[in-house]
Amino acid sequence: MEEKQINHQMDAGQDELVDKKTLRRVFWRSFHLQGSFNYERMQALGYLYAMIPILLKLYPKKSDLAAALKRHLEFFNTTPAVSSFVMGISTAMEEKNAREKGVFDSSSINAIKVALMGPLAGIGDSFFWGTFRVIAAGIGISLASQGNILGAILFLVLYNIPHFFLRYKGTFWGYNQGTTLLSSLYEKGNMEKVSYCAGILGLIVIGAMTGTLVQFTTPLEISIQGAAVNLQDTLDQIMPNILPLGLTLLLFLLLKKGIKVNYIMIGIIAVGILGKWAGIL
Amino acid sequence: MVLEAILIGLLGAIGILDGRIFGQMMFERPLVMGPLVGLVLGDFTTGIIVGATLELVWMGIVGVGSATPPDVTTGGILGTAFAIMTDSGAEVALALAVPIAILAQSLGILVRTINTSFIHRADKYAEEGNTKKIVLMHWLAVGLFFLNGFVPNFLGILLGSEVVEGIVNAIPQTITEGLQVAANMFPALGFALLLQMTFTKKLSPFYFLGFGLAVFFGLDITPVAVIGAIIAVVIYQLMPTDKDKEVLL
Repeated sequence: MEEKQINHQMDAGQDELVDKKTLRRVFWRSFHLQGSFNYERMQALGYLYAMIPILLKLYPKKSDLAAALKRHLEFFNTTPAVSSFVMGISTAMEEKNAREKGVFDSSSINAIKVALMGPLAGIGDSFFWGTFRVIAAGIGISLASQGNILGAILFLVLYNIPHFFLRYKGTFWGYNQGTTLLSSLYEKGNMEKVSYCAGILGLIVIGAMTGTLVQFTTPLEISIQGAAVNLQDTLDQIMPNILPLGLTLLLFLLLKKGIKVNYIMIGIIAVGILGKWAGIL
Repeated sequence: MVLEAILIGLLGAIGILDGRIFGQMMFERPLVMGPLVGLVLGDFTTGIIVGATLELVWMGIVGVGSATPPDVTTGGILGTAFAIMTDSGAEVALALAVPIAILAQSLGILVRTINTSFIHRADKYAEEGNTKKIVLMHWLAVGLFFLNGFVPNFLGILLGSEVVEGIVNAIPQTITEGLQVAANMFPALGFALLLQMTFTKKLSPFYFLGFGLAVFFGLDITPVAVIGAIIAVVIYQLMPTDKDKEVLL
């Protein structure tokens, strides 16, 4: 039902109250999303901070403004990089609310925000944290570990090109066609397709990094009938880097079992020291 | 030392604020902070290398969802700084960085708890339609995050260097060597954390494909990423088509 309302608004999108300049301010302010992060409502105050220029423009009457300000102080949490898209959608809906006062169901503004933040966080996390950042860091680390400053620079550039592009464009996509775009993506299952394929790319890169960046070997020698057999050589013959792969999958299982990261970190240090002391690592 | 401590404190503040008001542009990561710490302390190259090591260790640690992760910014900065100041390598940096990151994490949790009071006051100002005061509440929280980044790094350098040097010199060799082993194992934890985000039974062959490309063909990350992108695009096209697909692009 909400979708119908919004589609109707998109069609009737003449006399816009919000100009490009104000939307651009929302884009810049979206960088502040987590500036006042708290455990109760997470990114809510940062979200409102980004929306304030819009709300001031739309609601000259104090009581309308107060209602709108309270609306955007509700719980919000998503991947920061995709937040500007949701802000664009909120802007379009607030504009409609201001224009059709009393007719528009203002509670749908929050309903859409809440409905979007989960799926968008899923897609945003897998794109930005799981794919862009991982690839950029992988390339950056391999240069930087040789003492090359280009590693850090390339890391920043490779990550921030898609970041700035999507954050900027997202603001306007959200405003102009956000809800139609999203509903068509959902209906046709394209959203799942895109995140599925991002997952493929991310996993391939993580697999390659497991094979190249984890250096985990054993100096252990087993004597069989008097002859010393180097265990690592034997393992390498079965499959190169089988130990790093096994270790990664083991830790993955531990995490899946719900063991906390901090405990695993301390455990690794203990295993490292004990293993060295016992001469098996 | 006071000047250095202030500069490192400011780096810490920039690092923490990166995820707060700079839209998480990745300045917070050890890979970026390492060289900057190196620049301040006069050993650029060590900063770059230690930064890369710590980045690898913490690759998978990132604030996803509502959890507050170990503070890799402060851990990375102080770990790198102490490694440079005591003339020791990445394994010492790691040994110090891990407990520091966990300690600093609790400071971050404290700030995020205190910030709850600002949003309650913002509720009141929203009722009055007072946007100026709401903005002030936002900035007060930002101020706390600034201190969250500045204070531990500033104090760490100011008070910590001699203490740390003493500790480092007292560590037996077996332990430093064991820490080196742990440092080599840590990236596996990072990748395990990343797998938690993306790994499903259906997608698992692609993980082993990436592993195989690197291990059997000796390919670097960049060529693997290019191959991966091509595979992802091809599979996208092979999936059931529909005419609205262009909307996304």
